[in-house]
Amino acid sequence: MAETFNLPDVGEGLTEAEVVTWRTTVGATVEVNDIVVEIETAKSLVELPVPFAGVVTELLAAEGETLEVGAPLIRIAAEGEATPDAGSAPEAAAEPAAQEPAEPPAAEEKPGRSRSARAKKSAAQKREGAERDAAAREAPESPAQNEALVGSGPKADSAVRRTRTRSTSPDLVDLEGLDIASPAPAGGGYPDIADIVARASPPVRALAKRLGVAVWELVGSGRNGQITRDDVERQARQKLEQRASGQVPAPGAPAPGRRKTTPEEAGLLYDGPREENIQVRGVRKATARNVTASATTVPHVSVFKEVDVTRTMELRQALKNDPSYAGLSVSPMLFAAKAIIWAARRNPQVNATWHDTHYTLRNYLNLGIAAATPRGLVVPVIHEAHAFNTRGLAAALTQLTIDAREGRTTPGEMQGGTVSITNIGSLGLDSGTPILPPGQASIVALGAVRKKPWVVEGQIVPRDVMVIGGSFDHRLIDGDLAGRFISDVAAVMEQPGLLID
Amino acid sequence: MSDGRPARRASISGAVGEDHTVQPEEVQPVQLLTPEGKLAENEVYSPFIAELSAEKLRELYRYMAMERRLDAEATSLQRQGQLALWAPALGQEAAQVGTIAAIKSSDMVFPTYREHAMALYRGISPEELLTMFRATRHTGWDPREHNFHVYTLVLASQTLHAAGWAMGIKQDRRTDSVPRDRAEDEIVVACIGDGATSQGDAHESMVFAASYELPLLYFIQNNHWAISVPTRTQSRGPLVNRAKGYGFEGVRVDGNDVLASYAVASKLSGDIRAGSGPKLIESVTYRMGAHTTADDPTKYRSSEEEELWKGRDPIARYRSWLSSAGHADEGFFAEVDAEYKDLAADMRKSVLALEPIDLDRVFDTVYSEPHRQVETEKAWLKDYEAGFAEEQTEAGTAG
Repeated sequence: MAETFNLPDVGEGLTEAEVVTWRTTVGATVEVNDIVVEIETAKSLVELPVPFAGVVTELLAAEGETLEVGAPLIRIAAEGEATPDAGSAPEAAAEPAAQEPAEPPAAEEKPGRSRSARAKKSAAQKREGAERDAAAREAPESPAQNEALVGSGPKADSAVRRTRTRSTSPDLVDLEGLDIASPAPAGGGYPDIADIVARASPPVRALAKRLGVAVWELVGSGRNGQITRDDVERQARQKLEQRASGQVPAPGAPAPGRRKTTPEEAGLLYDGPREENIQVRGVRKATARNVTASATTVPHVSVFKEVDVTRTMELRQALKNDPSYAGLSVSPMLFAAKAIIWAARRNPQVNATWHDTHYTLRNYLNLGIAAATPRGLVVPVIHEAHAFNTRGLAAALTQLTIDAREGRTTPGEMQGGTVSITNIGSLGLDSGTPILPPGQASIVALGAVRKKPWVVEGQIVPRDVMVIGGSFDHRLIDGDLAGRFISDVAAVMEQPGLLID
Repeated sequence: MSDGRPARRASISGAVGEDHTVQPEEVQPVQLLTPEGKLAENEVYSPFIAELSAEKLRELYRYMAMERRLDAEATSLQRQGQLALWAPALGQEAAQVGTIAAIKSSDMVFPTYREHAMALYRGISPEELLTMFRATRHTGWDPREHNFHVYTLVLASQTLHAAGWAMGIKQDRRTDSVPRDRAEDEIVVACIGDGATSQGDAHESMVFAASYELPLLYFIQNNHWAISVPTRTQSRGPLVNRAKGYGFEGVRVDGNDVLASYAVASKLSGDIRAGSGPKLIESVTYRMGAHTTADDPTKYRSSEEEELWKGRDPIARYRSWLSSAGHADEGFFAEVDAEYKDLAADMRKSVLALEPIDLDRVFDTVYSEPHRQVETEKAWLKDYEAGFAEEQTEAGTAG
């Protein structure tokens, strides 16, 4: 009978490898330790010697295909034995399909397809003389080649966990004979043992056990959320004090009455569970992904300028009184938007996207407006903002704000921004360092407009003052350019007359 | 530098692709056999070779060849998923065999994890050698039986064990209480690689060895690469010079020359036995294979460099001298080849038959008497292990 050589783990804890080159063919005779295939792991190119002698009957993976460790690689029949006959062929071919980890879910896979169907397909292929089985054909393209690690660097594959059918109690310390009430988990069932083991070292767990503290309920104050001895001792002290003052009944004692305990009595901030895990999804998830990508890949630089916007506020009042602006929101944001478009015309490089080997200058301006909504932060975009007149821009801003608040912003409306504004003044703040939206090189932060003492022609007078700032992609925009751009925006806010050509 | 000369600079970033085989401030290693296989005369060291019988000379070859065959088979076994890891000693056979052959079997050796030729020389079987690499035992042999300590994977910590052992010897002699099963003239060999010499443990060990004048021989195999870091990144001068700093003698030897390795180790071990205190050997050799099977040397060193060292192959060099000097004929070499082909096949069989480690035993050997805490943990682990979903039966590669 044929023997199968499965893909071994040739590194330390590798989980997959790519078949690079077959060094043998079906029908070839091989000796033990003959090199039959070259594979590439996350660490290295490796030549695999075959552990059997005989005739190669099947190569079970295509060159370029990525296999999981343990997946069948090659079949060898002992010398003198015929190649598998028609009867045994389907079963042999079906075997890899039966090994679930070896077969990644393929796009065309229909849920109803049974194993036997796969086997039939494989058998059919076999009859056609195909050398590779269904699993091999349906395997997805191998992922982009891993960055080469030098030598025995850290392993790149993610660990594969064995499935658990039940949890094991973290009862690692023998307490028999000690007069201690062991804490029981609230709500039945322990948290994942692996989580506890990761967060609390054995001595800390032992201490918690000794002091009757439920270690899984603690919030670690150590590095990476590690639970420390202090955390355990503090909790034990608190429990002791509470017990002494009668605040918390000793375990097992009857509950006094049915009165609902207040959060203060329960030692909590508010009514609710002590700790709660909230699933990250939707806008929160997208925001997290975007800001992480931006903050970790783009070197940000931020600049600020405090500016007298009294004239802008006067103009704003004039427009508000203009009947043609009735129903439109005429906010400092409108003038800032006009100012940004004006300043971007004079400083083209702020309106661009960095691509490492080149950058793209945008000879148009799609203005993103960061808006806090009940669903989270969204950044709808006014496309071709430079083409609007002032009234048109006011109308666009008004509509966009309403849509965003009501959650009607479509994904398309959030695409393609080239420069963004965030109006933190509406939160009563003066300045901040916003994170750039993906693909943009500039974001302007508008502070709150405040009456402040200001020196005008040697006299201290009350004026409307705000801080204009912003963050910039420092790979593309030097402090010099960021400064000129923000100064230009500020100049327009100070002298809106500059907008008149 | 105390002599006022500016230190020669070797930038780490420019290291790859340069010739790592040349050290700044070169100290010529002792060499008796030229790479072409010609025997040179050396006033100090040649006499040690002259004493060797033809049979002993052939034995040196045998162990080198045995190591190389075992190494190839172990590498294949790892590639076939039968060993978790293998650390090849390919290219370092002469350094190891020459050194171990020069000391007495009663001398205690503290190896790293790559001293396969030394282990074989001390009578440890290939199967015993491989148990740790198959993860079926913590170690495959009784250190006392072979005077060969267990393989130590924590870099350089064996140098401290060796210093401790040597202090024990010293103490036994001072109090006139040498155990009956230990030799009166025992010395200790601490093996260490070039990379591990950067560890603090190596420094501490050498300080103690010097201060207490311990009967300790440091055997540094400088195989040029600490995984992917070239030796000269860690040591701007030859490692042998370090001995001077601690106040004892060091000798640099061509580690691909088994005769020079033997002669230098004979000379220094003799001096130590005579009460000289510690000595150090820097054996200049080359790791022809990967650091371990989890390493890919093509990512950090050039094929030119590997070719250069292939030309200095210790076994080929010694074999050509053995034949030309008439100490061995083709029949001998053919016999050795056949013998080790069988040995490899036997080794493959016995390794495949090794049973996985028994978890009970791991717990039961913590204390000599039953211990409640250990029992609790053992019970817990069993319960934990029983909590996994059943795995599909593994399609064994062994068939």
